[in-house]
Amino acid sequence: MAATLTPSFRRILLRAGLLAVAVGGVWSWQHGLAISLHHTAIFTGLALLGTCLGLALFNSRKKLPFLPLLRAATWTQFHIYAGWFSIFLFLLHTGLRWPDGLFESLLASVFTLVALSGVFGLYLSRTLPARLTHHGENVIYERIPALRSKLQRDVEALVLKSVEDTKSCTIADFYATRLKSYFDRPRNFFYYLTRGQAPLKNILSEIRLLERYTNEREHAILAELTECLQAKENLDFQLAGQGLLKYWLFVHIPLTASLLLLGAFHGLLVFYFAGGLR
Amino acid sequence: MAEPTATISRPQRWDVPFDSKMDAAAVDSVLAIAPFSRIDPTNFPKSTPLRDILLNDTSLRSFRKGEVIVREGDYGNSAFFIIRGSVKVALGKDAIPATLLGRRETHKKNFLETLGQLWRNPLHPEVRDTARYSAARAASAAARSGDARSPLPGGSRPPLARKDEVKAGAVFLSDIPAVLKGGTVSLGAGLFFGEIAALGRTPRTASIFADEPSELLEIRWQGLRELRLRAPEIKQFVDTNYRKYSLENHLRETEYFKDLTPEELKLVADQTRFETYGGFDWHTDYKKNRDTSPVERMRGEPVIAEQGQYANGLILIRAGFARLSQKYNHGERTASYLARGQMFGFKEIAHNWRSKDTVSLRYTLRALGYVDVLVVPTHVVEKYVLPKIAAADLPPLIEAKHEAENLISPLEQLSGKLPTDFVEFLVDHRFINGRATMLIDLERCTRCDDCVRACAAGHDNNPRFVRHGQQLGSYMVATACMHCLDPVCMIGCPTGAISRDSAGGQVVINDVTCIGCSTCANSCPYNNIQMVEIRDARGEPLLDQEKKPVTKAAKCDLCLEQPAGPACVRACPHDALTRLNIRDTDTLAAWLQR
Repeated sequence: MAATLTPSFRRILLRAGLLAVAVGGVWSWQHGLAISLHHTAIFTGLALLGTCLGLALFNSRKKLPFLPLLRAATWTQFHIYAGWFSIFLFLLHTGLRWPDGLFESLLASVFTLVALSGVFGLYLSRTLPARLTHHGENVIYERIPALRSKLQRDVEALVLKSVEDTKSCTIADFYATRLKSYFDRPRNFFYYLTRGQAPLKNILSEIRLLERYTNEREHAILAELTECLQAKENLDFQLAGQGLLKYWLFVHIPLTASLLLLGAFHGLLVFYFAGGLR
Repeated sequence: MAEPTATISRPQRWDVPFDSKMDAAAVDSVLAIAPFSRIDPTNFPKSTPLRDILLNDTSLRSFRKGEVIVREGDYGNSAFFIIRGSVKVALGKDAIPATLLGRRETHKKNFLETLGQLWRNPLHPEVRDTARYSAARAASAAARSGDARSPLPGGSRPPLARKDEVKAGAVFLSDIPAVLKGGTVSLGAGLFFGEIAALGRTPRTASIFADEPSELLEIRWQGLRELRLRAPEIKQFVDTNYRKYSLENHLRETEYFKDLTPEELKLVADQTRFETYGGFDWHTDYKKNRDTSPVERMRGEPVIAEQGQYANGLILIRAGFARLSQKYNHGERTASYLARGQMFGFKEIAHNWRSKDTVSLRYTLRALGYVDVLVVPTHVVEKYVLPKIAAADLPPLIEAKHEAENLISPLEQLSGKLPTDFVEFLVDHRFINGRATMLIDLERCTRCDDCVRACAAGHDNNPRFVRHGQQLGSYMVATACMHCLDPVCMIGCPTGAISRDSAGGQVVINDVTCIGCSTCANSCPYNNIQMVEIRDARGEPLLDQEKKPVTKAAKCDLCLEQPAGPACVRACPHDALTRLNIRDTDTLAAWLQR
């Protein structure tokens, strides 16, 4: 059976196995401490804080790309599995109960948000790249505004040409009332995230309707317009998808920084009330 | 009031000569020796006169007995002419152990130097320390004025080369018979060597050392190119040697010829034909035709041998690339691509020699750009080569049904590992030229641009590649220097600023000697070289005396000086990016199928 598994799947199984061993080991250790009447929260809390610090180091590694500090891909794998492990530690530390104190509730909320944003980011990074790749032309995120402006200029030139060529304002009117706002700015962000294509389909069905009232020359112009609409839809999709892939980190990283600060403060409080600073 | 923008002298071709100690007297000495004495100086344009070429593109060098001159496997950017003495060519692969060759290691930054980039990197992109340029010019000028060779006394021929004591980095083979694994060939005064690697942009095929105290003229390949172009005597001289020595050398290196005696090898060499397809400047045609359909492009490729014809000879690829294709319905399907060192037609010839039924060529071989081939006639292969090969080492007989099916046998399609569309993609876009091609798996790439930022961090705050390029399905070949097997970008460089690193063969640009002429950028068929406007520490563009921005060529150098290797690969958090030698199909296939 092993021969039928792909190398990447074998690697996933290996890492998941290691994670299971770590979880089992820590759980047994904690159970052993509890049986021997130790205050296990101290140990699980320290382990959790240490793991969070280790996870946060990934961002520092990214700032030092030229140092021989293992490949970023290795760090990512560590980050993912250590992230799952930290969730387990958190559950172990809190005893599967939501804390009742104000500060602890805040700390738990921040940890939950960090964990959720991390899982969300993992989901995005595993699903969006393939969708972006196969949706249409791949474009560089920073170039999208320029490409959109050029596309809009091309469409306006096409519409003006249609008035000159056909002596009819039908397409120009349709552009002014229906299409201009579509080309003006990025549109339908949330539709793209939910894999919907309803806005484009709606416009295309309106174009098909318009074909009933236009001649052959105008049909050709409408066909060009359709291509432009599809190009615009792709730009919007790329903007939404790539933007999401970039900006989820703007939630995850600041929250992580807050978590580390709050976590350290929590540690100091525990130490203080345990008599360590008195 | 804002400070005025800095101006610097526009870099010129010979600001930094090959050897700043060459002077007029040394040039006179060289011009007194045949074949240089026969060159007509009036054939050279005023912009590049013969004397200036010799003054700026050559170097007189002396070598002691046993001193290594060139090393097998190194990438050479120069050729040598033996003025006095003799040298020996060590025959056979790895004839001299690598440990004894004293190969120069590329300088890598240590940990502190690497870390120092964090605070030493300038804030602005493409900032240059202009003092380096003026220092290089000043050093050249000082060397010429302060340490000029004394004029030669009339009639006498003192040693031409400097009598350096022992040059820094010089490597000697102290006990030559003991270290040599194979035989040697001696080359005496009046011969060229090293021109094959210099002109063909390929690694040196043999190590060469001085057999006695010798004086050599080393010619930077840009100078050799000019001499070949303007002086028919030199061209003939070089080309005759090139054909004579490279032919026997190539045959000797070919697996099935290795058991031939020197006499048999000479007989085979005498009957071997040289054939050339396409032009050296194939990149021009490629750029012109790349927007045409693949079928049209393939039609334009010169046919070397055609499917269905009798195998008249064994074809050995000496330089360039060839497409191996097979008829499929109304078109042709690419089965593989061949490069230097590979052969075509051997299976058919071996089959026909052993079997009563005759098979014709099963594939068509087409030249992709410039291709240099050797054709060993079939009767010569049958007489000298095949009888020497053990039956077990001969290729299996070709089954008739495979020939009749007119289909590519999966086993023969690049070991059956790469999908046909991927092979077509690589060949159509000439990516087969790549030795460190940047491939991106777009289904893994999250477009985070960590690779781009990492590249910029190590290269003047400006990335040396664009994360965009030709795409097939989920795979993209990014616009990054591929460090080609045949780096055509080097062809036109007037100063030798773009060259191969002698150890690893990476194509690198010397920023000091680059004059910003854009020739390399225009020659690169893949648009992988950018011209950048350089700036001073304040971020202001540097201008020349005419107030025009000074530009330099910039491209990926594979992070040659960084201890960890290419930063782009190491920075990718999703293992989506790799640098691959496209000829290494096993690694490529494994990467695609991971």
